[in-house]
Amino acid sequence: MAPKESLVKMLGEERVIDDPKILASYAETRSFGPHFAPWLAVRPDGPEAVERLVGWANESRTPLVPVSSKGLKIRGDSVPSVPEAVVVDLSDMKKILSVNRQHRIAVVEPGVTYGELNAALAEENMVMPMSLRPKAGKSVMTDVLEGEPRLNPMVQWSYYDPLRCMEVTWGEGVRMFTGEAAAGARDLESQWADEKWQVNVAGPFMLDFYRVLTAAQGSMGIVTWASLKCAVKPLLHRMFVASANSLSELEGFVYRAMWTRFPDEIFIMNRSQLASLLGKTSGEIAVLKPLLPPWTVAVGVAGRELLPEERFEARSKDLTDIAQENGLDLRESIDSLDGDAVLREASSACVGTYWKDLWAGSSQSIFFVTQLERAPLFLKRVTELAESLSYPVGDIGVYIQPKHLGSAYHMEFTLPYDPDSARETRLAEELFDAASREIAGLGGYYSRPYGKWAGIQLNKDAQSLLALKRIQGIFDPNGIMNPGKLAAV
Amino acid sequence: MALEREAYRAIEDIVGKRNVSEDSSVTETYRCITSQSSAHYGPFNHQTPRPQAVVLPGSTEEVRQVIRICNRYGIQFKVASTFWAAMGYVGSDRAIQIDMVRMGGVRIDAKNMMAIVEPYAIGAVVQVEAMKFGLNCNMAGVGCSSSVLAGAAGWMGFGPSSLFMGIASENILGAEWVLPDGEILRTGSLGSDGSWFCGEGPGPSTRAVLRGWQGSTGAMGVCTRMAVRLHPWPGPKLIPTYGEVPSYKADGLENFRTYTLCFNEWEDYARAFQLFHEADVIYLGHRQFNMFGRDIKGAMLKILVDSGGQFSDLLPLMDDPYVKSENEKMKIDVQIVLAGLTERDLAYKEKAVDEVLRQTHGWKSEFMLDKEMRDFVLLYLLRLGRKNLNYTLCSSYEGNFGMSSNVFVAAPLMEEASALKRKWEQDTPHIAAVGGDSDMGSMSGIGGGGTTGWEFFVHFDAYDKDSIRGTKEFIDDSQRWMLSKGLGADMGRWNADARREDGYDYTQEEHDAIYKNLPQPAIFEYQWKVREAFNPRHLTGSYYRTKTPENVK
Repeated sequence: MAPKESLVKMLGEERVIDDPKILASYAETRSFGPHFAPWLAVRPDGPEAVERLVGWANESRTPLVPVSSKGLKIRGDSVPSVPEAVVVDLSDMKKILSVNRQHRIAVVEPGVTYGELNAALAEENMVMPMSLRPKAGKSVMTDVLEGEPRLNPMVQWSYYDPLRCMEVTWGEGVRMFTGEAAAGARDLESQWADEKWQVNVAGPFMLDFYRVLTAAQGSMGIVTWASLKCAVKPLLHRMFVASANSLSELEGFVYRAMWTRFPDEIFIMNRSQLASLLGKTSGEIAVLKPLLPPWTVAVGVAGRELLPEERFEARSKDLTDIAQENGLDLRESIDSLDGDAVLREASSACVGTYWKDLWAGSSQSIFFVTQLERAPLFLKRVTELAESLSYPVGDIGVYIQPKHLGSAYHMEFTLPYDPDSARETRLAEELFDAASREIAGLGGYYSRPYGKWAGIQLNKDAQSLLALKRIQGIFDPNGIMNPGKLAAV
Repeated sequence: MALEREAYRAIEDIVGKRNVSEDSSVTETYRCITSQSSAHYGPFNHQTPRPQAVVLPGSTEEVRQVIRICNRYGIQFKVASTFWAAMGYVGSDRAIQIDMVRMGGVRIDAKNMMAIVEPYAIGAVVQVEAMKFGLNCNMAGVGCSSSVLAGAAGWMGFGPSSLFMGIASENILGAEWVLPDGEILRTGSLGSDGSWFCGEGPGPSTRAVLRGWQGSTGAMGVCTRMAVRLHPWPGPKLIPTYGEVPSYKADGLENFRTYTLCFNEWEDYARAFQLFHEADVIYLGHRQFNMFGRDIKGAMLKILVDSGGQFSDLLPLMDDPYVKSENEKMKIDVQIVLAGLTERDLAYKEKAVDEVLRQTHGWKSEFMLDKEMRDFVLLYLLRLGRKNLNYTLCSSYEGNFGMSSNVFVAAPLMEEASALKRKWEQDTPHIAAVGGDSDMGSMSGIGGGGTTGWEFFVHFDAYDKDSIRGTKEFIDDSQRWMLSKGLGADMGRWNADARREDGYDYTQEEHDAIYKNLPQPAIFEYQWKVREAFNPRHLTGSYYRTKTPENVK
């Protein structure tokens, strides 16, 4: 039986897509890496269908590429890197399977967005901790699974918090739960009836299954639900800002603030990044940019159900003192820069044009993890490279986000360019390539090795690569899951 | 079975003659009674097998070479550092014991709040070094005399600090690991460029195979170095103490507060836990002294705090009207420590605790507000340096029940569990009669809250076969009760599937039979595949639980 017919028989006519226009949309990405339109796309309606689909793919040796978010694929991780792939579009799986206030756990399917989840959580007086201004169509589950940095690193005891348990169909076709949920029956309803709420991410026994799936770009299996740790909704929530002329001036304050754990949110941006975050159009950004300080640290403080005013007052005053001790003036606003506006924009989903593209029409981001004290080194080198290539240095956005209680820092350079200008596109790509290599050489760590970074990063450590190959051989022995992404594997 | 001379000489060449021995007077000391294993077994004369040699490597490279020799000759090996219970000991007659005592280095990266530790760096040392820089480490319940690395790599690692600092496995950053086949894996950023700050990735984390919720218990190679995350310590560089041995007390830690919180009902207790899990106010939280038992904890504390106290004072103190009355008020209790990172912070945390108590109808024990008592409890919880007290009542103890997954389910069942234990205390002479409830443990079993880390202490006489056997029968009964309540395996049986009652490893066939009816057998089948990939000669024993996949059979 021809592939399409066999898929139609398995999933139903309406769930198999061969419209060339729609298929082409799955390949729309600004990633500089190789990408192909899929052969077909399918929209399974649940985990059973996914399990059947993976079984079929193993028999027919057909590459599968899971996709959960809607809209432009910024990093290209969910765009096929090989021809004749089938995209597994999970974006219509939008059920919020459970919201448990007592344990602050929500269980969501892959297609659930931040907006949808937060609307449901609001009824239980909870919120989902955000990453920095995600696309409106961004899957919460994928965002967390891929390790997108959170604005609130103080509640990340695990590197991948708020990720907890999952249901996965591995590349070899076996469906199971992970973490605490794997120790019981493979049935959420019966687990809930037994008051088990998928709280603990680890194990369940000697093997940390969830770690096989994190930052995997869909190369190990297809996740069909995840439980996520939520936060109690703040009753008071404000953001404070402090400015500096150089990145180094902020270091002492951020280290000390991380030591205290007083901030709810904390991040650093340069003026280009902050202007892009706050401006609604390129014109607004142009007006705003010169008014902003060269560097800003933004610190959120919240008060929740338990003594909200007391917590807010103690933390905000202490953080103000700490800033002062480190030569900074932490305030609710600095001239035209309003801290609450920063909080509002940073922690809300982006509708319409992606915010990083507002300035020039498109952008590329280089991100990696490092330690804060090393950030100025990377900044200096990327600036030097940009200057040497005559790339407009003033356009480069910089965002630094503590992760995992401050153990690691996500550092991101945003390179805006006009996609309609061949020269600007070429220049951005040249800088992207050169800076990516240079950062790796200086010890920047691509923990999420998208696109070209896979080759750069994975080839740095032969033993880790060998171990990763062994792991992939166990969970996806036929190599059907999103092949070509972890290129060296 | 003695080792081949070639193998022994090769190991001698690697570590030096001084650091390997097959003398029975040495190897005999590397045995453990099987009743100390989270798998309470009797009778007393069942011990782990005697290793064929004991090896003390001094570096990662030496570990690697020793393991390669083991692979070449098909010799099993088991690694341990501070040897907590039977899980650290070999499980076959053709095995060597790797003792990491020579590798005890500690390096603090104060700015980035981490310590790089070697296996024999014990909690007390890491903590002392960290405190010099205003930092502290999660002290696992095993106590400060045990290896930080072994707790993180090998077992669960929760304790009083887990709510605020996370459990041991959550604190692992980069790690260096000699795999069972002799290859060295350095996780995360460590493998990339030698930086320790990130243990994940690149891409999927290879750390997945090194440990899960359960630690590797020495069954997935040898972790030789590890970075662990450190946490704020708003106290002095050295904890000042006063009092005489063994009644040390912390002196003058002005920005700390130590309370015992008490409740009328277990439902209120659970609600208070939820509020504390949601509000970041607790530095240390442990139901600690109930380990002695509900009826005697007050009297025991009086003895411990008084430098002249004797255990012979126990019965008179239990009859003391004041102690008796205060003890009764502490029936449902938990010890907490607040740490003020600033004055305002401490004031806010004090108010928050009072508010939680108001909402849950709780109170602070006056008995425990006595200055010397507070100072004793503070030092006890900070250091966990009094593990000898686990053994005080009857010379040994075993953890059981372990109702830790959901405090709202477990807490309301606590009286029923206590009644079951009390019945055994009263009907038999085998376990200490301490009032039934001897539940103790961590306020949280994961960082930031969400579960608990509880166990009942069952005090028994390790030199009395009837007591050991009786304890086993009690744990059989408590296991039946746990299953009837849907609470899973009794903690006293957690390792019952890892080592046989005779002290030896299980065979694969035995493991297959144990795991054949699991609700999700794929868990153990994938563990089998991981073992085949990373430990193809099966050299590390049956603590790594596996089930042969059906299609392989």
